[in-house]
Amino acid sequence: MREPDATGDGGRSRRDVLKAAVAVGGSVGLSACLDAIDGGEGSGTEAVPSGPEDLSTLPTRQFAWGEHIRRDEFGNEQLPAHQTLLYLTLPGEGPPTADQRATVETALTRLDEAYAWSHEGLLRSLAYSPEYFDRYETALPEPLDIYPARRLSPFETPEFDRQDALLHLASDRPDALLAAEQALTGERASANGVDFDAALTDVFTVDDRRTGFIGAGLPAAKQGGLEGVPEDGPVPDGSPLFMGFKAGFARNQAPEDRVTIQDGPFAGGTTKHVANLRQRLEDWYGEQDFTQRVMEMFSPMHAENDWVEGVGANLEDGSRVDETVATIEEQATEFGRVGHAQKAARANRDPDGTVKLNRRHFESADDGIASLHFPSLQREMSEFDAVREAMNGQDLTEITPAVRQRVNNGILEYIFVRHRGNFLVPPRDLRALPTPDGDAPQ
Amino acid sequence: MRRRAFLSGVGTAGALALAGCSEVVETRSLSGPPVLSNRPDAVYFPTHVEGMAMTGRADAGEYAFALMYSYPHRFWTVTGGEVTRTPVEEADDVHLMATVWDPETGTVLPETGLDVEISKGGELVSQEVIYPMLSQPMGFHYGANFGLDGDGEYEVTVSVGGTNTRRTGSFDGRFGDPARATIGFEYSQSDRDGIAFEETPDRAGDPTAREPMEMGMPNSVLPPADELPGDPRGTTETGDAVLAVTTLAAPPAGVDAPDGGTYLAVSARTPYNRMVLPAMAVEATLTADGTLFDGALTRTLDPDLGYHYGAAVDAVPAGADLELRVPTPPQVARHEGYETAFVGMPPTELTL
Ligand code: HEM
Repeated sequence: MREPDATGDGGRSRRDVLKAAVAVGGSVGLSACLDAIDGGEGSGTEAVPSGPEDLSTLPTRQFAWGEHIRRDEFGNEQLPAHQTLLYLTLPGEGPPTADQRATVETALTRLDEAYAWSHEGLLRSLAYSPEYFDRYETALPEPLDIYPARRLSPFETPEFDRQDALLHLASDRPDALLAAEQALTGERASANGVDFDAALTDVFTVDDRRTGFIGAGLPAAKQGGLEGVPEDGPVPDGSPLFMGFKAGFARNQAPEDRVTIQDGPFAGGTTKHVANLRQRLEDWYGEQDFTQRVMEMFSPMHAENDWVEGVGANLEDGSRVDETVATIEEQATEFGRVGHAQKAARANRDPDGTVKLNRRHFESADDGIASLHFPSLQREMSEFDAVREAMNGQDLTEITPAVRQRVNNGILEYIFVRHRGNFLVPPRDLRALPTPDGDAPQ
Repeated sequence: MRRRAFLSGVGTAGALALAGCSEVVETRSLSGPPVLSNRPDAVYFPTHVEGMAMTGRADAGEYAFALMYSYPHRFWTVTGGEVTRTPVEEADDVHLMATVWDPETGTVLPETGLDVEISKGGELVSQEVIYPMLSQPMGFHYGANFGLDGDGEYEVTVSVGGTNTRRTGSFDGRFGDPARATIGFEYSQSDRDGIAFEETPDRAGDPTAREPMEMGMPNSVLPPADELPGDPRGTTETGDAVLAVTTLAAPPAGVDAPDGGTYLAVSARTPYNRMVLPAMAVEATLTADGTLFDGALTRTLDPDLGYHYGAAVDAVPAGADLELRVPTPPQVARHEGYETAFVGMPPTELTL
């Protein structure tokens, strides 16, 4: 079988080793990573910026990442290049104790001290599942729109992530990402000059660890030997994603305000859906030409009018998908295909045109298989479900039989849902094992 | 896995009967002859025939599954009116075929999504959405070519999507959920190469089709036109497809018809062997004294009528004229001998 390109060898740059180390993870990954740093003569590795003196200056919203990451020339957010998801479980049943809460808060406070809240330091959030809140006798407040993950299409049989909590770490610095993870999981006593007198793993066990990356060049660099990507390496060098296009244009993303819960004990929080989608791109690149890929990713109208060049950088800060929504049925009939973005956008607008979802997806080479980790933030979880239903496009199979359940129907032929999980991202002051009524007594 | 290779006489139905259900004959193209240069715009006898092997069967949810394989094939995909040949790739080892049916009625489910995940020793080997397909001996099935990872034990997980096709009668409310089943597959190249293969230069291109195979599992053969339920009203043809019309005194359960009325059903099938032709767009205009119906027929799966195209209408008087139009031909991939038929489908008429 093919092996992921994850073991260090003499011919690789330190940067390559660092990136590979995130994918390998654990102490092997970290020591490879740290050796690379230590061994780098003249080093040249810039110090990772530390947290602020006054921690109260940190944002209330744990998902306030947008103002603290790179933007491209058009103002599109560039998510941190390296990311890790740790799925955490509380042993036993019933609610956690005040001591456990204090331990979690201490570990996260050390993280605040150690790393600047930015892509050069570390962005992070700790979210909790509805299943976690079931440990309490009281229920979550009624108006809160969140529930356990469920099947979202008639053609998927995912595993549901029902772990108690989800830690999401993101940084452009793989060394920072790894050291932070190691400190939080008790494998390292200090990180970035801060002693960790508590670890998340004093309270939680790590049930699953998933990693990924995003950004121009990374998918092309990782495609070799990866299961799911054709062997001739078709992913363009400039693409941030395996499928060869840019995503997350500024005008096609919800502002953080739009995804923020407004009222109740979790005001300042958000809901977070995280799916994992296996990608199988043999036919995407082998059977389809560029025009057909544009049709299936964006819309037939995009292809007809040559709106997309290369990876789509020419679209600047907006995908133009709004122009293609009203005539989607006519396009389906005429071209026998519909576009992914076009379908999904149908359910992704407020009446005034504001976008509802903030998608923060990134690629993965976990287990040597190409997949996409798909975190999406929205004020109400059911907003995500509605967008996913629109993306399923089952209604369009009734317009023309050329559009089938998963063929000629956006990108559904090439993506396979493996996992789904729903989480509540509480505001920062409730990030340590909150109660359903919005308290975190220590 | 027990397989009996049989290498002679595969061109006749008699030999097929001998083969039992584990080996049936269908078309193959890997090292087969080139595509005929003068194919008719109609069903034709392929350039060669070959056997296939049953891998296994399983049940899951509301469905029964069977998995078969043969040599990798060339086949043709259809999008709208465009037919595109999919050649055999060098890395392809097998053509995998899956059939899904309702174990209660034996009805083959012809219009849903199906994917296949192949693993060996816990390692992922492949996963693809596979295409709805039509072959002469097998009729409707799902299939694709796959590359494998050498001889050995494989696990093949077949996942079927809940269908979006209208369901009527006792099918109303059924087949809405997905299900998946895992079937073991012991593969060796030498076993595969033992599968029968024969060129058929004498008959290639003839306006006929191979006989449907008896495979010990349901196939997608529809009842003869004059044995359809209700009041069979005659047949017409377009693009070499046979459109058989019947009417029921009342629409079956599951048809949204507040005024009751009559049900008009069109059953589309291949010539020679009555294989179901699913996933077309069909429009109808019914006239007697004035227009009685003018619009699209709905793709429908019914336990008695089978897969058909139907609509509730007020009445269908004797002598009424029915025009049938097919703006979109069957959106199913084709094995050799079916790729030129059922593509150009001009409007057609019959008097009921
Ligand atoms: C491998 C998987 C996926 C890839 C490569 C992908 C890629 C893209 C691209 C390139 C666009 C157009 C540019 C943009 O506006 O960002 C887009 C749009 C969109 N995608 Fe995806 N996507 C994937 C999966 C998903 C999933 C699972 C969802 C879940 C609902 C989703 C939701 C959306 C939405 C809502 C839009 C349209 C944004 C708008 O309203 O304008 N995508 N996607």
